[in-house]
Amino acid sequence: MKKQRELFQADMVKSIQEQLKNTDANISIDEAALVAQAKAGNMDSVERLILKYQQRVYNTILKMCGNNDDAAELTQDTFVRVIQNIKNFKGQSSFYTWLFRIAVNLTLNFCKKNSRVSFQPLQSEPDEELKHQLKDYLIDKTTPQPPQIAATKELHGLILKALEKLDADQRAVIVLRDIEQMNYTEIAETLDIEIGTVKSRIARGRKNLREILEAAIQ
Amino acid sequence: MKDMELIEEMLNCYIDGELDERKSNEVKRLIDNDSQIHSLYDSLKRYKNLMDTVCQVPAPEGLCDNITAHLEREVLLADTQIYSLKAGRRHLMARRLMTAAAVIALAAVLFVVIFDIFVPKSSRQQLLSNALRKKTIKQVLYEKPFADTKQQEDIKIVPQNSYDVPLVVILALKTNNPIEVDWLVAKALTTTDLFNQTAAIDRQSGAVRYVINCNNQSLISLIQELSFIWPQCTDTKIDIGTEQAGKYITVNNISARQVMEICKAENFGQRLRMANDLAIINKLTTPAIIDRLYAAVDIDYDLLVTQKPALTSTEKTQTAGQPSNDIKNATLTIIVISK
Repeated sequence: MKKQRELFQADMVKSIQEQLKNTDANISIDEAALVAQAKAGNMDSVERLILKYQQRVYNTILKMCGNNDDAAELTQDTFVRVIQNIKNFKGQSSFYTWLFRIAVNLTLNFCKKNSRVSFQPLQSEPDEELKHQLKDYLIDKTTPQPPQIAATKELHGLILKALEKLDADQRAVIVLRDIEQMNYTEIAETLDIEIGTVKSRIARGRKNLREILEAAIQ
Repeated sequence: MKDMELIEEMLNCYIDGELDERKSNEVKRLIDNDSQIHSLYDSLKRYKNLMDTVCQVPAPEGLCDNITAHLEREVLLADTQIYSLKAGRRHLMARRLMTAAAVIALAAVLFVVIFDIFVPKSSRQQLLSNALRKKTIKQVLYEKPFADTKQQEDIKIVPQNSYDVPLVVILALKTNNPIEVDWLVAKALTTTDLFNQTAAIDRQSGAVRYVINCNNQSLISLIQELSFIWPQCTDTKIDIGTEQAGKYITVNNISARQVMEICKAENFGQRLRMANDLAIINKLTTPAIIDRLYAAVDIDYDLLVTQKPALTSTEKTQTAGQPSNDIKNATLTIIVISK
């Protein structure tokens, strides 16, 4: 029994490695065909779907819950649930929005259960230079492009901190739009809300986020 | 304020490329012409650009492996025949039950040990005795005083047998023909076989007294025989003995029929009431009228006498025994007085 399992795992690893070698080819495979094969119980197709979306799902969840470990666990739960229920997927919406709907719902439920999202604390407070550059860019509008340090961990932490202070619904919309780059229709489909609601939530969310960030760099 | 919100919403849609060409041109024109809107647009654009710079974090290593391992474990469990076969399921259930029983037993042992350690011996014995004691039914007397006892039904009590109180009658007959009346009384006594039961015959000048001890039935028969005497009498009077010795109820102008009625009374009380009533009636009317009344209407005297209400008590019913002919419970004294 143990040997069988080890053999099975070895085969799986091999197949994944082979697939990773042919990543470009994998991505080009039609998503609908992959989903159909996964429905039929094809594990290769399942793995391809996981590989295709894991990073995007993980990033969306991370920006919503703010914790790496929780995000990893929730991403795993999302894919397990998706594969377990893939036979119930009827194709009324796209697989992409269906997947993200499950991910967002799981994350929102998790956030509600934990009442307050525990964002990982910043390693250190943003230094004065970062604050100054951000102020120049956002308030004084003297810098035409985002500061060079925008890609640093500090800025990333600052934005996460600001997102933490938004309420869950606004946070979900902002993350799906600005991080996941979904269009409004996809957001409405994923969250199962009207497009008008998406528009108003985005406007309010961005306004709140702007106020939070301005307060942080003052 | 609301307009500003709408403009901000519109600007966000413009930045995100969610507007059609016509609306997009309108917004563009608005931005170019209005400095305030232009400033707002610039601010939103800068925030948008800043958010776009947030880099994507790579997914943790082995995420895919973890997911496939998780799925594989579930698939293997589903494929394992032990869960699909009946015997296997039973075995699994038995194991679960045994585990549960073991846990409960362990918990019980732990409880006993903790109980033994922490609870003092005196309190322990008291607790155990309380636990083992059978539940007693509380009898709350003030709530349900007679709940379990069946209430006895009321039993009608018939008044004591009237014949227990001897009938004492003194009949006084005033006549102009004392010899004839005396003879008729003697004859009546002979006819009713009461002559031998005559206790005393006292003959004095102007009066003869007979004392007869007999039973009630014989007395009635005697009075019936004596009814022939009444036309010979100028005045009649009867004294009915009461419970108190020496005290009588006197009824003047009494007829033979009235005497018979009194003697027929069912009990002592009725007899006294009848005597009282007749004493009053006879005072008001002459005997002839009463006789005629009796003759005209066959009045049952019971109709004239109000029945006493039945008494109730817990004693059992006692039926009135009929007087035995052998018991001499009546004493009749006949006094014949010459006028």
